[in-house]
Amino acid sequence: MMGEVIVSMEHISKSFPGVRALDDVSFELRSGEVMALLGENGAGKSTLMKILSGVYEKDGGTIRIMGREYENLNPKQALDAGVAIIHQELNMCKDLNVSENMFLGREHINGIVLDNAEMENTARKYLDELGVDIDPLETVGSLPVSKQQMIEIAKALSVNAKILIMDEPTSALSSREIKELFSIIQRLKSQGCGIVYISHRLEELAHITDRVTIMRDGRYITSGDFDSFTMDEIIANMVGREIKEKFPRIKCTRGKKVFEVRGLNAGRSVRDVSFSLHEGEIVGFAGLMGAGRTETTRAIFGVDKKESGTIILDDKEVRIENPMDAIRAGIVLAPEDRKKDGLCTKLTIRENVALPNLDMICGRDGVINRKKETQMCEEAIRNLSIKTPGIDIDAGSLSGGNQQKVVVGKWLARKSRVVIFDEPTRGIDVGAKVEIYHIMNRLKEQGIAVMFISSEMPEVMGIADRIIVMCDGRITGELDAETATQNEILKYATQFESRL
Amino acid sequence: MYRARKTGLIKKIMRIKGMGAALTAFAGLVVIYVAFGIMNPMVFSGQNILNLLRSMSKYLLIGIGQSYVMITGNIDLSIGSVAGMSAMMTATLMTLGVNPLLAMLITMAVCLTIGFINGVLVGRFKLPPFIATLGTMFIARGAAYIVNGNRNTDNIGVVLGKDAADSFQNFFYYGKILGLFNTFWIAFVIFLVFYFFLSKTRTGRHIYAIGSNVEAAKLSGVDVVKTTVKTYLISEFCGAVVGFILCAQAGMGNMEAGNVYEMYGVAAGVIGGVSPLGGSGILLGTFAGAAVWQTLENGLNMIGAQVGIQRIVIGVMVVAAVLVSVIRNRKD
Repeated sequence: MMGEVIVSMEHISKSFPGVRALDDVSFELRSGEVMALLGENGAGKSTLMKILSGVYEKDGGTIRIMGREYENLNPKQALDAGVAIIHQELNMCKDLNVSENMFLGREHINGIVLDNAEMENTARKYLDELGVDIDPLETVGSLPVSKQQMIEIAKALSVNAKILIMDEPTSALSSREIKELFSIIQRLKSQGCGIVYISHRLEELAHITDRVTIMRDGRYITSGDFDSFTMDEIIANMVGREIKEKFPRIKCTRGKKVFEVRGLNAGRSVRDVSFSLHEGEIVGFAGLMGAGRTETTRAIFGVDKKESGTIILDDKEVRIENPMDAIRAGIVLAPEDRKKDGLCTKLTIRENVALPNLDMICGRDGVINRKKETQMCEEAIRNLSIKTPGIDIDAGSLSGGNQQKVVVGKWLARKSRVVIFDEPTRGIDVGAKVEIYHIMNRLKEQGIAVMFISSEMPEVMGIADRIIVMCDGRITGELDAETATQNEILKYATQFESRL
Repeated sequence: MYRARKTGLIKKIMRIKGMGAALTAFAGLVVIYVAFGIMNPMVFSGQNILNLLRSMSKYLLIGIGQSYVMITGNIDLSIGSVAGMSAMMTATLMTLGVNPLLAMLITMAVCLTIGFINGVLVGRFKLPPFIATLGTMFIARGAAYIVNGNRNTDNIGVVLGKDAADSFQNFFYYGKILGLFNTFWIAFVIFLVFYFFLSKTRTGRHIYAIGSNVEAAKLSGVDVVKTTVKTYLISEFCGAVVGFILCAQAGMGNMEAGNVYEMYGVAAGVIGGVSPLGGSGILLGTFAGAAVWQTLENGLNMIGAQVGIQRIVIGVMVVAAVLVSVIRNRKD
């Protein structure tokens, strides 16, 4: 039953600017087994598999595939070595059709002419094997995500991969498609394929998994036969021990309701979301990546279209069609990706801070009052202790923590009622994190409602007063932060609608 | 399970992506042509049709080059100046007594070098194509000025003699085969070759893939740099041939030859459904677009519209064509 080792990765390390993504990680895969690779967000699972499939280069360690050692792989070499990966974020050419995508980069040719008929037939054969009704001539962009996912799987089958990596393959599939996928996985196993299966849907694992490898914070934690672990043990290994860091939580009395969202719907990622925020509290939003938290903030802030739902501020319903409406009403957002959505990195601190507040510092003639602008920026720098030589330097040249403070500083100049922080501490150092916590605490003291989204459980538990957990676009649980445990949060965060 | 639909030839043709937009452009062409013909019956005359086909050939060639580049999501601002440089360089070499064939070979080599530089700047060094080809546009036009000492050339026959000059001019412009001007045949053959290359070969497929999603293409093992270079080589090849045609037409080299042709190429592609954002469009559309463009120019001339009016009508056409395609894509 136990096959020979077909992949062995030893002492793999990998750093990105400012982050150590993998630290001395080892991983092994045998033929004919399904290896579940488990861990929380940011544990390094995807990074490890991207190294194996040639997307990233490792900094150190050794990779052996089928007994042969590889120094560094590019995607094509990995494919030639028999490694196929189905990425979590689908990577397809939307303008090309199904068959063209499946054979991209390894087109079948007849002389110099593409053999389309042959590729279409082969594509059809693999799609039929998967039991999906997709026309190989259909343009990929016009298909729903679930079908695109099945195409990725069919593509992996068609390269005759010996090692198949699936990163969250079921997230967009229906129950029937999942069953098909699982029977395909069984078949591939019996043919001697080794399969790496990354998923947060722990309830699925029992159906297919032989062994598990658990990672945490870029490190290897443990591995072994799936049957030798209980679910609780797996969760305990994923979340780790007690929280070591200290969080400066302050006590405030919970005041009146400031903000309420009722029955908000916006696509698949925001489904019937209802919650309220009160004066004097920070409400943490926990969940896994893709749980729909960021999408919820975008819908509230008027970036994405709402399908239905009411937003109530200080007992009055407000209509928010675009970010300007939200800002005028007093709802502001410090978005997740500060370089992309939060700041104009090529503009100065002055210009960034002034941007959403130009209405306050422009005269009737539309000319910016430079004195008021300077005043506003200097106040922001003082209040938030932004470390910078001056207000006229590029926001992009600041450290991550100080950039984040500029994002916050944009909004504090206004009298806001609700401040939404989406992953405000991602990628910034510990000291800067604590300063961000202090800023949130200060808002809380001032009676401003604070919505705090974070994928790092310890900080949600340490800073928030109340924790709302989301999964798959729905709110699946609400907990008192003082008594909540990581295991409880993770349980709610993986409460997917049962589809099996 | 997917069951293969019984498809007739027409259905099969309509399934080709970009065919809808191309056929729409042809339909527009017919409407425009008939409308002008009603206003001035001379539009329908055999001589006018011959002239139309000949003059649209230049736009078609530029359009082919520009379409290749646009389908990868890039742009080539230099192609018009490359055509100018090509005209000046061949003419200058011929006035120095160089054999026409050799003159064209040398010129072609220089034009392809510009294409290679464009491709490397855009593909390898990731320069914005607008900027990279703006630079080579000025360089090529500068070269067109310098090559004959900042003046137009003399007649290409001064040293070679009238016979050699005539045979060059006839080959590219004044001669006819099967009743149609050679210019059209040259453009048509190049069109067929590149149509085949884009729709039937691996490189053609990679060109669409890069324009559609460069990241996915890279992860699938597509050589993005090499493919980008190829598109610019094709573009400047077309520019060079247009230069030969312009040189043959005038019988001399004109320093301003091919001025703003790069934009005519963009217009021809866009009217025919080539997306300037990359990933879609077929050369049949470019063919229709070039014909629409030339018919407009010709028709407006024939009904006596001023040049200013012509420009405005053409400008409106280009914006309208893109607007229609953007709205159509949004519906999908």
